[in-house]
Amino acid sequence: MEVDEKTKGSHIVPAGPQGLAVRSAALVARGLRDLARNSNWLTTKVFAGRSPHAAVSADGHVCAVAPPAKNEAQRVVLYDIERGAPALALAVPNEAISFGSKLAEKAVLAWSPSATFLVAAWGLWEPSLHFFDLQSKMFLGMFGEFAEFPRFASWSGMGRYFALAGSGKKASLGLWTAGTNAMVLAGPALRTIGPPDWVERQDIGDEAGDQGTFAGYGRIAFSPDERRLAAGVEIQGEWADDEILFVELPSFGAEKTFPAQGHITDITWTPDSHYLIYCAAGQAYRVNVETLESESMPFGAELCLCHPNRPLCVCFSSWLRNSAKGRLFLVDLDALDVFDEQPAENVVDLRWSVDGSKAFAVTRDGLAYSYEPPF
Amino acid sequence: MAPNPTDIRPVKPEERELALKREEQTNIETELAECELRAANLRAELGAFERQYLHFVGLRYAELDELNAQVAEEIAKAQPGNERAQRTAREARARASKTRTSAGEKTEQEPKPFQASPELKRLYREVARRVHPDLTSDRDDRAKRQELMAEANEAYVQGDEAQLTRILTEYECSPEAVKGEGAGPELIRVIRRISQARGRLTEIEAELQELLRSDLHQLKTRVDEAEKHGRDVVKEIVGKVDEQIGQAKRRLENLQQRVQA
Repeated sequence: MEVDEKTKGSHIVPAGPQGLAVRSAALVARGLRDLARNSNWLTTKVFAGRSPHAAVSADGHVCAVAPPAKNEAQRVVLYDIERGAPALALAVPNEAISFGSKLAEKAVLAWSPSATFLVAAWGLWEPSLHFFDLQSKMFLGMFGEFAEFPRFASWSGMGRYFALAGSGKKASLGLWTAGTNAMVLAGPALRTIGPPDWVERQDIGDEAGDQGTFAGYGRIAFSPDERRLAAGVEIQGEWADDEILFVELPSFGAEKTFPAQGHITDITWTPDSHYLIYCAAGQAYRVNVETLESESMPFGAELCLCHPNRPLCVCFSSWLRNSAKGRLFLVDLDALDVFDEQPAENVVDLRWSVDGSKAFAVTRDGLAYSYEPPF
Repeated sequence: MAPNPTDIRPVKPEERELALKREEQTNIETELAECELRAANLRAELGAFERQYLHFVGLRYAELDELNAQVAEEIAKAQPGNERAQRTAREARARASKTRTSAGEKTEQEPKPFQASPELKRLYREVARRVHPDLTSDRDDRAKRQELMAEANEAYVQGDEAQLTRILTEYECSPEAVKGEGAGPELIRVIRRISQARGRLTEIEAELQELLRSDLHQLKTRVDEAEKHGRDVVKEIVGKVDEQIGQAKRRLENLQQRVQA
């Protein structure tokens, strides 16, 4: 008698389920995605409630101070835009527990260009910058201790530099260089720039009045070639306009200042690093960095971010044409043409993916928008 | 008349057990045939839907990605020093090539949805019940059955009733159909067949789950549901891709005009 054991690895069907679903998987997923969208924008709800701070990464994650919830301690949480769900809560040793504190409303969140690292400061943590490795889900430590809570932080496009904009009359601009291997940041700032010279003169009574009062450094943006940093200089006063300070890298020497037209809400560089686009008082302007010639752009915006390699900019304005509604939109910087508008409110951060194939936006109300250019 | 001694021979325990196991085997054969039919039907339906999808939508995505690659290459050509633009162009070209491979070649005939007739289902069920490779414990017989079952699956997908009848006749007339000798060995054979059939049932269940979870099935369900309400989801996707193709064409033209100027 011959009794055979079952032969392993034999198939009785010409094509298994893998063969069937895998060949078309990417194209089917793409079809489903295209079907779900009314425009080139896709909207996802990532958290309920309202968060004072949210920042979006180049790989489609949102970091936000979680809105206070009943019986739940507040945390800084990462949300996955695609899944529309929390992915990770950032834990810090000796973290304070709060169920709704004013301090929790203060935060600075800065993603590294590849979204591997996150630098965060939060009102309920130690007054230092906290460094997280999100790939290995580790808290790497603290650096950059501060007295006044900072306003903004930013990495350079290739991750070589990191800058922190301080707030208050004695605010400074700090620069760190990241370790070449792991982009690790540590210790005090390598270089700092204090308040502008005129602040000192103002303090001793030489100048005052219409000039306004220095309130700290505002938005910061590194040029794509990493040769310059532009920082908003915030000036308080009824008629006062902000300035833009250009800083040379790697020397970190203050190069020149440019008088802006109002209070600056965002700064971005064109991919060739020749022009700076800034938004002030709801209007967008373009500045030639060499000549400092400036022109008003034919659109209003409060936030703007240039594409990494195309003459394209994603923008947000809280005023839609002929109505008081907000919108996200794209601008062709060559043709100065506005297209792909999407109604949106309370947008706080914009980001392009590293390859420029997607743009992301996040709102205070937990909505995330993904944009895929149709080209 | 005195009874024939063979008539009053007591039933041996292994024979009693064999009778029970044969009954169990018959039941599991029927269940297995039903499951195989369900899986074959789902595979055939999804396969046909996939061909339709690739024909109407996949080829359009291939066209879109080709245009996108040309746009990226134009931009890269205009900015030779911009490493990111060069990389983007390379990636766009690779994506276009991948999409073209996935979408396949355009076929002359428009793919049709899969529709099995009751007779086709009956024949397949019969083949699965009689020829299934997991219902034998003989190595040679198993190999023969695997071959026939694969042919049966292909015939089912093609809706070929004549081929299914041929497979059934071929196996029924083959020497492998002749059963072995003795209750003891036969009992072992039956137990093993039952065990193999159970194993195959688990495999089919896993395969069905995988197919049901796939995006392809989700999309097909949406298409079928929408059809009941008079909507054509595939046509809607086609419209959206066509819109993107139009935008990509305009962008490419603009870029080419700029280069010429």
